[in-house]
Amino acid sequence: MLSYRLAGLSVESEIALPGLIDSVADCGPPEVRIRCGAVPEKLDDAGAFGPTWAMQGGRFLLRIPDIARFLLTDGREIAFETENGTSPEDAAVFLVGTVFGILLHQRRKIVLHASAVRVGDKAVLFCGRSGAGKSTMAAALDRRGYSLLNDDVCAIGLDRAGAPIAHSDGRRLKLWAQAIEHLELADRRGSPVRSRLQKFYVEPQDSFAHALPLGAVYGLRETRAPLQDGIERPNVVDSALVIRRSAYRPRMVDAMQQNSPYFQSAANIAARAGVFYLTRPLDFAKIPDVIGRLEAHWREIGLLEAIR
Amino acid sequence: MSERIWLASYPKSGNTWLRILIGCLSLKDGEALDINKLPERGGIASARAPFDNLTLIDSGLLTHDEIDRLRPRIYEELGQSLEEEVPEGPQEPVQVRFVKVHDAYTLTSLGEPLLAGKRGAKAAILIVRDPRDVVPSLANHNGTTIDEAIEFMNNADAGFCNKPGRQHSQLRQQLPSWSGHIASWLDQRDIPIHLLRYEDLKRDTAGALLAVLDFAGVPATPADIERSTLIATFEALKKQERNTGFSEWHDRSGNGRLFFRRGDVGGWRDELTTEQILRIESAHGPMMKRLGYELSTSSELVLIG
Repeated sequence: MLSYRLAGLSVESEIALPGLIDSVADCGPPEVRIRCGAVPEKLDDAGAFGPTWAMQGGRFLLRIPDIARFLLTDGREIAFETENGTSPEDAAVFLVGTVFGILLHQRRKIVLHASAVRVGDKAVLFCGRSGAGKSTMAAALDRRGYSLLNDDVCAIGLDRAGAPIAHSDGRRLKLWAQAIEHLELADRRGSPVRSRLQKFYVEPQDSFAHALPLGAVYGLRETRAPLQDGIERPNVVDSALVIRRSAYRPRMVDAMQQNSPYFQSAANIAARAGVFYLTRPLDFAKIPDVIGRLEAHWREIGLLEAIR
Repeated sequence: MSERIWLASYPKSGNTWLRILIGCLSLKDGEALDINKLPERGGIASARAPFDNLTLIDSGLLTHDEIDRLRPRIYEELGQSLEEEVPEGPQEPVQVRFVKVHDAYTLTSLGEPLLAGKRGAKAAILIVRDPRDVVPSLANHNGTTIDEAIEFMNNADAGFCNKPGRQHSQLRQQLPSWSGHIASWLDQRDIPIHLLRYEDLKRDTAGALLAVLDFAGVPATPADIERSTLIATFEALKKQERNTGFSEWHDRSGNGRLFFRRGDVGGWRDELTTEQILRIESAHGPMMKRLGYELSTSSELVLIG
């Protein structure tokens, strides 16, 4: 049995969870258990369902055809059964991403599709849909000396004063071969995330696995007409939409009737940390410019000390 | 509940222009066209975000074939509801939603139509264009030479967004040669097709648009259609793109390539060499004849070529 800390929760798992930096010896009694076992093909009387999933009360079934089925119960247990001879290792990458994301929804957590790095004593998040460049941004910033906090999924909580915090869990990055080449990270490349993909785990230079208050949230946008390069602060409504659209996944927010908490959280994040658009070309060659622009912005909003 | 209709075409065949013409029907009197705020926003079938959002699965962790096996489920779901595909912003209620698609009409490895047959859309408008005019436009779009574009159009394994080792912004679109792509749509028997030649759209825009709308079951007055054809001329689109850029296109080469290029009929005559024309006609002669495009080379030459 292996133990991990994931999104602020203690997790006990029968199989190794790839992409997490280390299993930890003592993280308290498990709040979530992951086990291999029989998983039904379908849920009867599902109250909500989609093409690959069904929800019935506190039970949630996800099927990734020919790979695995996952049954989540009350945000406390994940059972999974592989299909068609898929190895548990090849299915495990889905556990720490999609499946754990759904489990966090079951626990009524705010979960963002975001990567995060540490800037000063704050967490800076980069949100966007798949392919928006979240991991690439985090990898480039890690290389620049900003510790990696999260890759792809980021659970948001509140500290005692009600300020938003990011639960980081010290994940490895997941990067495509093209990004590894352009960011010159070949020496940190680990195993492929799945045997059939040219996408690999990449060891961050430095990672940090504790909760940090949110410093800023950036919605990533590609520079396309009529958008111009730059960082701008959207109005209150658009800020809320950036957060809502960055939910991991928006469909889950609807299915679990979580719209209201997401908007409240968005308002809280916008007021206490700041939500911004970061518009830049999707071009590896421009990453140093983008980092320069971000650092200037961090000085402006007080995350970094101003240059004297 | 809405009905979906595919706007299907091989790339660079007039799909976007037709979509803008249809979109302009809903402009109010005196309202100008903004190509970056198009009224019709049905999106493209190969968009990645609806896949991830509806399946909950990260498409970036699946192979192209694994994604394709799930895609019919997406179009079935979208065929039932508008909710997930509307990107953002206020939407006018619409009865018919036109959705752009460049994918060939293929079957998945499980033998079902990728686009979910009649559960995915009730019909399709298939827009075709003389392949000799597609070639220079595709070369510009892909940032390749004319010869490379000809090779791409002759390649049964060609596609968009199909490279391993990177995340493309869209899902893979198979383009199994120009002829193969068009045959896949013409020869399927799942949904009715309205065939529209780009050349006919160019020659009689209002008439072609009326026929499209009639087929789609979308009511439109002659005045609406006339206004749309006057607003969304190809020249107007080119001019707007030159002035403001086009949100659906990003020239990553930095060479200032534009999405709306010439839009001409017969422009190939001054852009292709005789040898290039021969190669295209030799590869696609039968389909060109099927669509009524006259070959410039004699049949003997085609056989020798």
